[in-house]
Amino acid sequence: MAAGLAAPDAFAFGQDGAFQPRFLQTGTRALPSAHASGLSRWSWELIRRTSAPARLAVGSVTADAAELLAEPFTVWLGDGAVAPLSHPEIRGLRQYFALGGVLFVDDSDPRKGDFGRSVRAELERVLPESPTVRLPAQHVLYKSYYLLDGPVGRVQGPAYLEAIGSGKTLRVLLSSHDLVGALAQQRGGSWALPIEPGGAEQRELAIRFAVNLAMYVLCLDYKDDQVHAEELMRRRGRQRR
Amino acid sequence: MTAINWAITEDIDRSVVILTAVLLVGSLVLLVYELASRRQRSWAVFVSGVLAALCVAIAVLRPVVVESRANVVGPRVVVLVDQSRRLTLPASGSSASNNPRSAKAALALRELSERFTEARLNALGFSEGPLSPLTIGPELIPLSLSGNRSDLSAALRELNATTSERPKAIVVVSDGRLARPLDALDDGALKEALGPSSVPIHTVSLTDSVPADASVRGIRAAGVAVAHQPLAVTVEVGCTGDLNCGRIPVKIRELRDGVAAAELASGVAEIKDGSATVELELTLDQAGGRVIEVSIASPSGDEIPENDVRHLTFMVARERIRLLHLAGRPTYDVRALRRWLKSDESVDVVAFFILRDSDGDEPGAPAFELALINFPVDELFTEHLRSFDAVILQDIDAARYKLSRYLGRLAAYVQLGGGLIMVGGPSSFAGGSYAGTPLDSILPVEQPKRDKPSDPKAFVPRYTQAGHAAEVTRPIRDLLGDALPEMAGTNHLGQIRPGAIVLWEHPELLAGAGSMPVLALGEAGDGRTIALSVDSTHRLAFGPMAAGVAGRAYGALWDGLLGWLMRDPRYEAARVELVGECLENGPDTLLRVERLPGMRGALTLSVSPLTETSGPAIVRELGEGSVEPMEVHLPGLRAGGYTARVRIGQAPPSRHDFACERSGVAWSDSRPDPERLEAIARVTGGQAVDTAGIARLPMPPATTVSSQREVAPVAPPWVWTLASAILLGAHWIARRNGGLA
Repeated sequence: MAAGLAAPDAFAFGQDGAFQPRFLQTGTRALPSAHASGLSRWSWELIRRTSAPARLAVGSVTADAAELLAEPFTVWLGDGAVAPLSHPEIRGLRQYFALGGVLFVDDSDPRKGDFGRSVRAELERVLPESPTVRLPAQHVLYKSYYLLDGPVGRVQGPAYLEAIGSGKTLRVLLSSHDLVGALAQQRGGSWALPIEPGGAEQRELAIRFAVNLAMYVLCLDYKDDQVHAEELMRRRGRQRR
Repeated sequence: MTAINWAITEDIDRSVVILTAVLLVGSLVLLVYELASRRQRSWAVFVSGVLAALCVAIAVLRPVVVESRANVVGPRVVVLVDQSRRLTLPASGSSASNNPRSAKAALALRELSERFTEARLNALGFSEGPLSPLTIGPELIPLSLSGNRSDLSAALRELNATTSERPKAIVVVSDGRLARPLDALDDGALKEALGPSSVPIHTVSLTDSVPADASVRGIRAAGVAVAHQPLAVTVEVGCTGDLNCGRIPVKIRELRDGVAAAELASGVAEIKDGSATVELELTLDQAGGRVIEVSIASPSGDEIPENDVRHLTFMVARERIRLLHLAGRPTYDVRALRRWLKSDESVDVVAFFILRDSDGDEPGAPAFELALINFPVDELFTEHLRSFDAVILQDIDAARYKLSRYLGRLAAYVQLGGGLIMVGGPSSFAGGSYAGTPLDSILPVEQPKRDKPSDPKAFVPRYTQAGHAAEVTRPIRDLLGDALPEMAGTNHLGQIRPGAIVLWEHPELLAGAGSMPVLALGEAGDGRTIALSVDSTHRLAFGPMAAGVAGRAYGALWDGLLGWLMRDPRYEAARVELVGECLENGPDTLLRVERLPGMRGALTLSVSPLTETSGPAIVRELGEGSVEPMEVHLPGLRAGGYTARVRIGQAPPSRHDFACERSGVAWSDSRPDPERLEAIARVTGGQAVDTAGIARLPMPPATTVSSQREVAPVAPPWVWTLASAILLGAHWIARRNGGLA
């Protein structure tokens, strides 16, 4: 059995349901090397800031591998156009989405936009019936842990996030903000990539957005529950004043 | 007595008689017309024609002489005796055992047999069901009583529908408190309610003595009882006789298993003109059959205290399931459960997940920039707990999140009928400081004292024998067979508690002498509990095994667990129901027991009272090969609430609660109603008397019964034929002589 299929003994009890982002590897193109540590930092920030368990050791998975179904969250990032998906990859992704998996698509070079455009084209093949829509500013993603006004990443992209959903659940989130780039670190601990144009504050907001995204994956629309709605609306009003 | 009559022969059809008559009349009319149209009239033609026509008609009809002998017999009189259990009430005074109305009815029957010696008497008992024949004669025979109500209208309708001889008179023996015909009817409506018969109805009133009695006369609920929704209940309280009734306290309690009865509502009945109604509002939180006790505090001098308390079974429906889901940290296991709960439109979920531990987590932002609210533990466990059908505790540390002080309350909530699921995780069971708490005692498994509260080694749970037998696991077994995904470790659980069931067990770890439970079900008082020691069931929703069945296995597991917790009949092993009613002073209580398809094994029925302390249970072992549905007789149940549990083989028990009344509706209104009996007699032309006046009842006229009948022809057929031929010939000659054709 492949390593990803079983719940490994190596975890402490309680780690099986922990947040563990993985890179989706397609074609032969390598991941941008500067971004490789971004997912570990994402898990680390989640552990540090919230009660959610997360795994620091991250890896990658291909769309046609059975291991894709080991975890319900995967990150597909790149800085150039992706190769067309094979039929097994399309079948694997469809099964992943059908079970409730979430795919975060993060364009590492949104100014060029080649990656984003090519991924959109491939996702149309995977989910031909599901249109891509803009997420409204009131979406639970922006209040799943922090109260945020919109998506933030390493670069200033559009003020909205795009998504492909199924009912009230999001299957695919499409970012043009290089979120993983904002989280990536060098070996010595310094940040791997500069923030444009914001600086430290923008990076903090990017980290908060990453935490929110992880919380959305773990809790779904929990913060849309009625018991939270009134208090959160009041806080938002106070923030804007 | 002999009588002679004439008739026509019996061997011809009625249509032939009619045809003959028509032809005779037609021929006579033609003859008259023919003669009338002539100037010169011939009497010979007319007379011969008439005689010939008559003779032909007689030849066809052939008259006969009927000689009959008849006897005169006594009239048929039917005595309808009220046989409802209300007749166990005292006729006068306070002691029903010495002087019940039924004894007066038996005496009345004997006196009626003496009064109507010359009549043919039939005595029939009436109450709710069909008429039952009674013995009537000079001996005093005690009445056997059954039924709560006296339905005279139905009795008369049944009597009219019989094809036997109509009675010349009907005598009704009752105290007059009839369910039908209704009281307060005018004479026209009363006559109509008594049916179309013109037979006079005489009435014998058993008593006109009104006892000094305060009682719960009636209980009416507006609409259907739905869990968690207020239900308006109207209680009618009566007070009669010489009692000093001003304000009578009324109380409604719910009887529960293993815990004290809970007072649901109370009020005061302000008695005016002998009765009062109290509107009370109560909320039942648990679905299914719930046993309610309605009682009054009667004033001193109440001669019939037995009708001060009523026990009723309310069937409570569940419109939606309302769940409280508490999770100590967000994980994929929490995600899977929330996703499944939210996918079901019939489930209302109130969820609180601990997203930040204030002791360790550093969100790096002021509170107003966070979308976090305080965990309202006080509010939840003091104000709102009762509004939930079940609570799910998923990996939440009781000590760290201040649940510990409410665990007693949570245990009491379960004892009172709530559901509880504890899902595994590092902060569940002993790892979450639950060991030794009040909640520990209601879980289906013990929590062992160990250094490590959990075991990290991955394993695949296996089904136990009970797991294979239980309906709870049928949905997931239908999808996956015996296969289950690998679980990433487990909480350490101890031995199973008495009466609990293990569905999954650990293949290696032990608890006492047996394998360690992984998934166990149990009952605690009125409630049910589930212990699941793992936090990897999300692998049934997302993973390679889940993909094989399109992710449906997770829903199949939790459908069964939540369904069992909520007593969904689909997940029970057997069906139990009360047949008829349960009465302390009535016949044996009858329970019908039926195992659901596929359930095998010996069947054990256990019936115990719904009391705070477990009373002695009546246990019946029913063999596997018994014919089903089985009917089990339970003699001697006292008034109160009962719970019947049926266990089939190793499967979890099924339960049905029911009420047993002391005297029920029959005693709810102890007043006799002689006025209604008088009205019945008046509108039907009968006579109303009391038991002392039976001798005054009129004897109906005798009935004549034919005993012998002889039929003989007036003359042989050939005589009529010959006479017809001669008269026709004479008529032809007369016509020729008269110049007619």
